[in-house]
Amino acid sequence: MSNQESWRVGVLFSTSGVTSIIEQSQLNGTLLAIDEINAAGGVRGRPIEPICYNPDSVVARYGELAEKLIVEDRITALFGCYMSSSRKEVLPVVERRNVLFFYPTLYEGFEYSPNMIYGGATPNQNSVPLANYLMNTFGKRIFFVGSDYIYPRESNRVMRNVLRQGGGEVVGERFYPFDTDMAGFADVAREIVELQPDAIFSTVVGQMCIDFYRAYHAAGGDGRTCPIASLTTNEAEIAAIGPEAAVGHITAAPYFRAINSPANRKFLKAYGQKFGSVRDVTSCGEAAYCQMHMFATALEEVGEMDTERLREALLGATFDAPQGHIKIDPDNNHTYLQSRIARVNEQGEFIIENKVRRAIKPDPYLVYPGIHDWSLRTQKVAQQTV
Amino acid sequence: MSDFIQDLRDLHTLVVHQRDRSADDLVQQIHRIGCNYENAWPIPDTLQEKFDLVFIDVTDQPASRIKTFLNSSGGKPPTVIAVIGYENPSTLETIFEIGAHSLLTKPVRAAGVLGSMLMARRYWAEQLRFQKEQTKLRDRLENMQKINDAKFILMRHHGIDELEAYAVIRKQAMAKRTTTFEIAQSIINADGILRNFGDH
Repeated sequence: MSNQESWRVGVLFSTSGVTSIIEQSQLNGTLLAIDEINAAGGVRGRPIEPICYNPDSVVARYGELAEKLIVEDRITALFGCYMSSSRKEVLPVVERRNVLFFYPTLYEGFEYSPNMIYGGATPNQNSVPLANYLMNTFGKRIFFVGSDYIYPRESNRVMRNVLRQGGGEVVGERFYPFDTDMAGFADVAREIVELQPDAIFSTVVGQMCIDFYRAYHAAGGDGRTCPIASLTTNEAEIAAIGPEAAVGHITAAPYFRAINSPANRKFLKAYGQKFGSVRDVTSCGEAAYCQMHMFATALEEVGEMDTERLREALLGATFDAPQGHIKIDPDNNHTYLQSRIARVNEQGEFIIENKVRRAIKPDPYLVYPGIHDWSLRTQKVAQQTV
Repeated sequence: MSDFIQDLRDLHTLVVHQRDRSADDLVQQIHRIGCNYENAWPIPDTLQEKFDLVFIDVTDQPASRIKTFLNSSGGKPPTVIAVIGYENPSTLETIFEIGAHSLLTKPVRAAGVLGSMLMARRYWAEQLRFQKEQTKLRDRLENMQKINDAKFILMRHHGIDELEAYAVIRKQAMAKRTTTFEIAQSIINADGILRNFGDH
């Protein structure tokens, strides 16, 4: 098969800079899916060919490179972005040029574009289950720490509201710029240890989250008694933090590496074969993997790179993902996702403690999630003996 | 967080717009935002009272027709968002004339609808509040004028000072379980009758 015959798609994930850990895992998920699709004969006999650029975690570069992919490389489907600010750079470009844009990341909601397919969780899919779990398991006094940008501020607003409905209290709230290192978190870590809240809700993302967890540990904080709970901290970051500082901490996400299902075992086996290890598999990486597969299925059906027709084929599409069954919601282009809560054990591995019974409908415009919504209740997951 | 954002999903909205691509994009976004909506076209004769917020296409519609429709519910006036196809001065004049609280331009994009709804609701609520306050102030001013007039009548007839005159009005109001305004009105009426009586 020659390159002329391939389906070219654009891929924009940073492999250097502040969000490179997570974006590398998204890139891996994307490339793994493409490998699988091509190994199975491609789409209508033609392979998918990714054109990848590295925006270096610089927000403005995402927009520039999206433009380059569309104008110079002639792509009409784009996969990429982690931070909301980078998505906002790409969004006007894809709308102007009518390109389909797959965004495999959780974000703060309140957005819809006919050109976007959103593969990550909105706050109603993970914040409410996490708030319930924290208050039931640890207590009602929660301290908020976040990176200083839109996602943490909106996440905190949602979390604060859900906590209040359950009689909880926010005992402190701090935001830190992206260049904050371990020393920069020392003061807040000390403050938290002195204040003794019941748990910490962290929206510190990327490289700086590693520094925050380590600073908390260095100040005497212990995840086994007062955990840091997050919607973003993933397997790759926990590995970088190290088991000693990571133990006891909690993450709510649709996917964890520890899921014991045939679909996930198959995914991990393929991932390990391609990249040598499954150490950096994350929920955003899984979302990227799912989105590429769903795109290929739609393309198989439609047979051409036409944005309108691909979107029509994608809306309502389902996929047997490593996390479980998922579906693109035709109402809003977001995705029905699973919701799980996992805690880091002594070996630095996430153990899934709770999950919701079925995939949660995305509700990107939900201002006040209700804490008593039955569909957001989690139940205990029985631990398997190995 | 403001009540406008909190109460958004309780709104009943009406989209008065031909069922075309713009209307589809608009109602789908209203649905995503989580409000319930109905669609109507052409402009109905009367506006049902249940609608809190009306999106209305003002293109090629006479302002008088739109105004009659918007004022036809019999209840509180609705929040109005004008949907315009042309941004020319005569269309913009129509928006002012019908008292729209916000506007959307065609083609309608999903982004901007939520913001427009919130701005309109806030502006609408403020307008209602100002109107109510204005009525209250006007009434109060009128009351004060009445009571002053009555006081002067009493002062003139009984040779008492202002404080004593007011005390009389108040005492009467308490005894008759009514307002000082009512007593003042009675005094003014009686004074008028008695004065006219003398003319005959």
